[in-house]
Amino acid sequence: MIKAENLSFSYSGSPPYILSEINLEIVDGEYVSVVGENGCGKSTLMKLILRFLKPTHGSIETYSKRIGYVPQKSDSDNSGFPITVYEMLNSYRRLLKIKDKSIVGKSLRQVGLSDYSESLMGNLSGGQAQKALIARALMGSPDLLILDEPSAGVDLESQTEIYALLKKLNTENGITIVSVEHNLDAAVSNSTSIYHLAGGHGHICTPQQYAEEYLSSKGKGDSLA
Amino acid sequence: MTALLSYGFMQNAFIVSLFISVLCPCIGVFLVLRRYSMIGDTLSHASLAGVTIGLMLNQNPVLGAFIFTSICGALIEFLRRYFKKHTDLILAVVLALSVGTAITIISSGKLHANADSFMFGSILTVTGLDMIMVIVLSVISVLALILLYHQMLYIAYDEEAAKVAGVKTRLINYIFSILVASAVSVSIRIVGVLVLSSMIALPVATALQLEKGFKQTLIFSIVFSMIDIMSGLFISYYLNVAPGGFTALVSVAVLVIVIAVKKTLSAVKAKTLA
Repeated sequence: MIKAENLSFSYSGSPPYILSEINLEIVDGEYVSVVGENGCGKSTLMKLILRFLKPTHGSIETYSKRIGYVPQKSDSDNSGFPITVYEMLNSYRRLLKIKDKSIVGKSLRQVGLSDYSESLMGNLSGGQAQKALIARALMGSPDLLILDEPSAGVDLESQTEIYALLKKLNTENGITIVSVEHNLDAAVSNSTSIYHLAGGHGHICTPQQYAEEYLSSKGKGDSLA
Repeated sequence: MTALLSYGFMQNAFIVSLFISVLCPCIGVFLVLRRYSMIGDTLSHASLAGVTIGLMLNQNPVLGAFIFTSICGALIEFLRRYFKKHTDLILAVVLALSVGTAITIISSGKLHANADSFMFGSILTVTGLDMIMVIVLSVISVLALILLYHQMLYIAYDEEAAKVAGVKTRLINYIFSILVASAVSVSIRIVGVLVLSSMIALPVATALQLEKGFKQTLIFSIVFSMIDIMSGLFISYYLNVAPGGFTALVSVAVLVIVIAVKKTLSAVKAKTLA
């Protein structure tokens, strides 16, 4: 479970705050998409959940013991780094102190990348790289999976596969998912709840409520995409 | 070459070079991939300050270099938190402190020996005590690297993922600073302060041309480093020039050759496929 109470944050430690008076509760088993305009603090909220940042005011607690994290692709797009898919996963296995070496192969099979274990990460397509990062996040058998724009820079076919996989992980494996989303169609169709951030404030709503809110603000002729 | 190795000073230089050629790329691969190559340059200048302090106090200059460079390495890591938005300034601050210390001590005339050999590198001046220092520091550093291999790899590749996996990134970064200081201090006798950063970065730059995974890149970095340093050591002796400068030239030549071979092979491959 994740619980934020009166959470405010600014990088300078003083106003104006990127996030202001945030109150949020995510219970186990939910699939929450965090949406909002660029620069509204979505990724900052993820970093607060992951404890990379400390709140300026208020509090945020993450009660999950095993957290899997899939960073925004631009953050991890270290394409010149000489590392194979196997090395990336196997080293992470060592960091997680998992003795069972076969978990690397299992994670790759789970995301459909078994044939790419010896490929360099920098030579993978956007979709393959994202799947490899999801495989890494799954290695620790997480109860909470945090993703930052999982479909950014990914082709449509891979997007469909990634969202189907996330849905399966949520519904069949019971993994709580919190995902920053710019793909509003995916957010509405996959999530159990949507957290909408705007102007530093946020509110939680059902996917249907969000779709209605969005369409009424943009005009009925528009689509979510 | 066998005759050359019968000289005691050359044996010392050979053993020290062997250790340098393993340690420098092991540290260098992490520095280069974290885009911290210039830290190697800054710390090599810090080592000069350490050498001058050691010579002034009548202590072993390599030990002086190791202690002062470790302090500067830790200082860089510490200042990183205070200059988050201007990290380039950190190197300017540490460089000013190091070069300022070195120049002040050298110009004061209180040195009990000549510091010039540390600027350009020298084969003749490697003493038995230096060799013991180099072997001890190198063995400890390589063991630390083996133990922390996966943590350091992940901090270089994806520091946030390392944090999520529970890696104490700040502690490892401090340990890494000391390892860099160790590599710098063991290398200054032979390679010299002025071209030391190239010994850390160039074999890695050459190995990166091969586009292999991390472990293979590390192994090839060591191979290229051995080629660079050993040929630099022996050829500089026959040419009667400083080994540091000539080793740097060899390492640039090896890089250029590898790039040329790579380009030729891809052109031939493209022609065959066409």
